[in-house]
Amino acid sequence: MSQLCEDQELLEGFLTETTELLEKMDDDLVTLEKSPDNMELLNSIFRSIHTVKGASSFLGFELLVKITHKTEDVLNRLRKGEIQVTAEIMDVILEAVDLIKILVNDIRNGEIIERDLDSIIDKLIPYISGTFAEATVLSAPKEEAAAPETYTTDTDPPQREVTDGKTAASEPAVETSTPVSPPAPASVRPTAPKAAPARAEELSDNTTVRIDVKRLDDLMNQVGEMVLERNRILQMNIDYQTKENMVNFGDEFGKLAKRIDFVTSELQMQVLKIRMIPVEKVFKKFPRIVRNLSRDLGKEVELEIIGEETELDRSVVDEIGDPLIHLIRNSLDHGIELPDDRMAAGKPRTGRVVLSATHEGNQIIISIKDDGRGIDPEKLSRKAIEKGLVSEEQVAGMSQKEILDLIFLPGFSTKEKATDLSGRGVGMDVVRTNIRKLNGIIELRSEVGVGSEIILKLPLTLAIIQSLLVEVEHEVYSIPLAAVLETLKVENSSFHYIGGQEVLKLRESVLPLLRLQRVFGVSERAEKTAQSYIVVIGVAEKRMGLIVTRLLGQQEVAIKSLGKFLAKAPGIAGSTIMGDGRVALIIDPAGLIEMDDSGSVGSWAA
Amino acid sequence: MATSANFKTEEAKAELIQLVSFNLDREEYGVYVLKVREIIRMSNVTRVPNTPYYVEGVINLRGKVIPIISLRKKFSLQEVENDKQTRIIVMDVDGELMGFIVDAVSEVIRISSAEIQPPPAVVNGGLEQEYLSGVINRADRLLVLLDLERVFSKAERDSLLNAAA
Repeated sequence: MSQLCEDQELLEGFLTETTELLEKMDDDLVTLEKSPDNMELLNSIFRSIHTVKGASSFLGFELLVKITHKTEDVLNRLRKGEIQVTAEIMDVILEAVDLIKILVNDIRNGEIIERDLDSIIDKLIPYISGTFAEATVLSAPKEEAAAPETYTTDTDPPQREVTDGKTAASEPAVETSTPVSPPAPASVRPTAPKAAPARAEELSDNTTVRIDVKRLDDLMNQVGEMVLERNRILQMNIDYQTKENMVNFGDEFGKLAKRIDFVTSELQMQVLKIRMIPVEKVFKKFPRIVRNLSRDLGKEVELEIIGEETELDRSVVDEIGDPLIHLIRNSLDHGIELPDDRMAAGKPRTGRVVLSATHEGNQIIISIKDDGRGIDPEKLSRKAIEKGLVSEEQVAGMSQKEILDLIFLPGFSTKEKATDLSGRGVGMDVVRTNIRKLNGIIELRSEVGVGSEIILKLPLTLAIIQSLLVEVEHEVYSIPLAAVLETLKVENSSFHYIGGQEVLKLRESVLPLLRLQRVFGVSERAEKTAQSYIVVIGVAEKRMGLIVTRLLGQQEVAIKSLGKFLAKAPGIAGSTIMGDGRVALIIDPAGLIEMDDSGSVGSWAA
Repeated sequence: MATSANFKTEEAKAELIQLVSFNLDREEYGVYVLKVREIIRMSNVTRVPNTPYYVEGVINLRGKVIPIISLRKKFSLQEVENDKQTRIIVMDVDGELMGFIVDAVSEVIRISSAEIQPPPAVVNGGLEQEYLSGVINRADRLLVLLDLERVFSKAERDSLLNAAA
C-alpha cells in the first residue's frame, strides 16, 4: 500500500471512511428508489459521493475521481429535479457504486488494476447532459491517464464491445441491468489478465473497530474495581503472613471471593460487548440484493427486516453473511412465485420476505421467512431418490421433517432449471457447512402454498461459551451448550440396533447414539450400571445422542486452542482450563456428527 | 530451521553454542538452548483422543494449552513411571510451544560447533531418525543432538495437520 500513498495513516483513514460511506450508500440508494421524493436522503447520498470524490482527488486516485465525479453529476441533476428517479437510473448508479467499491478494494490491496470505467461512465453520461460530444472528450485523455497505472504491457485500445457485449456507447442507457453479483468479471478488462477477482460485497474491513466511548469508560470503571479488589487481596495476604487482623479472616475472604467473581463476570461482559456489533452490518446488504434479484427474476418482492440492532460477536457476524445471502436468494428464486402465479393462487402480487434477528438466552435466532410456494415434500423426496441420494425404502420410513431435511444433502437441487443465482445444488449444503462451523442449529419449516421459514440458532460469541460438563469414564469433557438439546437418563434395555448403529427411540424419531467412551478410546473404568446418561446434541439439521458416564453440570468456559499440531484432532473443538487448573477438552458436536456420517449409513435421518 | 542447516555447512567457523542436555533411558541428548522456553515439572496431562501414540496430551501452562510429547514413546523406549526427576522441556517448535517429557534435565553445556559430528550413517539412514542432527563426542560422554522441530516427520506432521477424518 505504501507505494500508492506516502501517508499510510491518511490512506487508512480514507479507506475506513470511504468503506463506511459506500456501505451506507447502498442502503440509502435502495430506500431512495422506494421514496424518490425524499430530498433529504438524496442530499445525503450526494454529500457522501462528494466526500469520496474529494478525498480520492486529494490522495490522487485518478480512476476513483473519474467515476465518482460522473456519479456525482447524475446525482446532482436528480437533486435539482432536472431528471427523475427511475429504476434505470438507479441501476446505473448502483453499478457505478459497485465499481467504486472495487476500485477502493484495489487500493486496499495495494495495487491499482485497470478496471473498465468506460462502459459505466458511458451509461452515466446520457443522464448528465445527453451530449455525446462530452463523452468522447472525456474518454480521450482517460486512456493516457490510465495507461501508466496499468502494469500490463498490452496497449490495445479498450474494447467496449468485448468487455460488455450489451453496451454500445451510443445506445441510450435503458438496457436491462446485468446481475449485480458478478460485477467484477464483467467489468475487468481483458487487458488486465492478472486482475484479482474483485467482489464489491467484500468491502468490509474488520481489522479495526470503532467503539462507543461510553463502553470504554465502563470498561475502565470495571478495571478500576478490579484493581481495588487486587489491593484487597494483597492486603489480606500480608495480614495472613503476619497473622494480624485474623478475626473474621474466613468471612472476609469469602466476601472478597464473591466480589472478585462479580467484578470479573462484569468485566467479561464488558469485553464481550466491545466485540459485539449489530447484525445490521450484514443485514444492510440485503435490500440491495433483494431489489436486484427480484428485478432480474421478474418478481415483486418486499423485504422486511426486523431486529437489525441485535448484537452479536464480530467473529459470528463475519461468518453468517454468505449463508444468509444463499438463503435469501433461495427464498426469492425458489420460494416466491411470479406475480401472476401469486394472483392465481389468491395471494397479493408482491411477495414478502421477512428477515429477523432476536436474542434468546445465549443464542441469536435469525429467521428468513417467505410467503412463497413452500417446499413440496413429495417433490423433494422424488428428487432425492432420482439423484440417488436416498433409497425409496428410506424415504418411506421418514417423517415429514426428515424429508424436508433432505434439502441439506450435498448435491441437492429441486429447481428444474438452475439459474445463475441459485439452484446449482450447492446452496443449502454450503449453508449447513457454515452454520456447523459456528456450532449453530438450522431448522426448516415449510407449508406447501403458504411459505417456508428457515431458522438459524447461533451462539452469541465464539470465545466464551456455556458448556455442559460430562464425565466419560473419569475423563472430563465439555459440550457446548448451544448444541445441547436435552439430557436423558434411560435404561440400557431401551437401546436398539439398526444396521449396526445403536439407536434410541425418542418420542417420534429415532435417535442415533454414539458412545463417547468408544469414540475417544477411553478405557472403561467406571462401574457398569443399568442406566445411561444421554446428551442429545443438534448440529445444523441433525440430531444425535451421546452416551456419557455422568453429567457434571453447566459451566461457562473460555475456549483455548489446542495449537496447530492438535487442532485437527477429530471430534475435539478445543480445550478449556477448569477451576483446578486442569485442561478439559471441548467436544466438537459438528465433527462428531460428521465422523458418524462417514461411518454409518442413514444417520442423516436423525 | 536455519541453525541446524548452517551447522553442517559452516562447521569451519566453529561458533560457540549452548545446549540443554537431558537424559532419556541411558542416553544423553542435547537441544539448542535458544529453542527452549522453559523447563517445568510434570503436571496433570489431559489425554487427547485420536492423536498419535506419542502425544501424551495437553497441559495448562499458565493459561495456555500446549501439547505434550512423550519422547520415550516417540523413540520406542520402554515406558517408565514419572518420578521426581521427570521434566517437561517446553520448546518453540515451528512458532508454537510444545512440551517434551524427558527423564531428567542435567545442565546447560557450551560447546564449539566444530565438535558436532554428523550422525553415523547407519542411524541417519532410517527415515525415523531425521530429527537426529548430530553427535558430540566429549571425553567420557556421548551427546546426541536433537532437532525437535523434526521430531514429527513430514508425513506425521501432514497427518497431524490433516487428521480431520
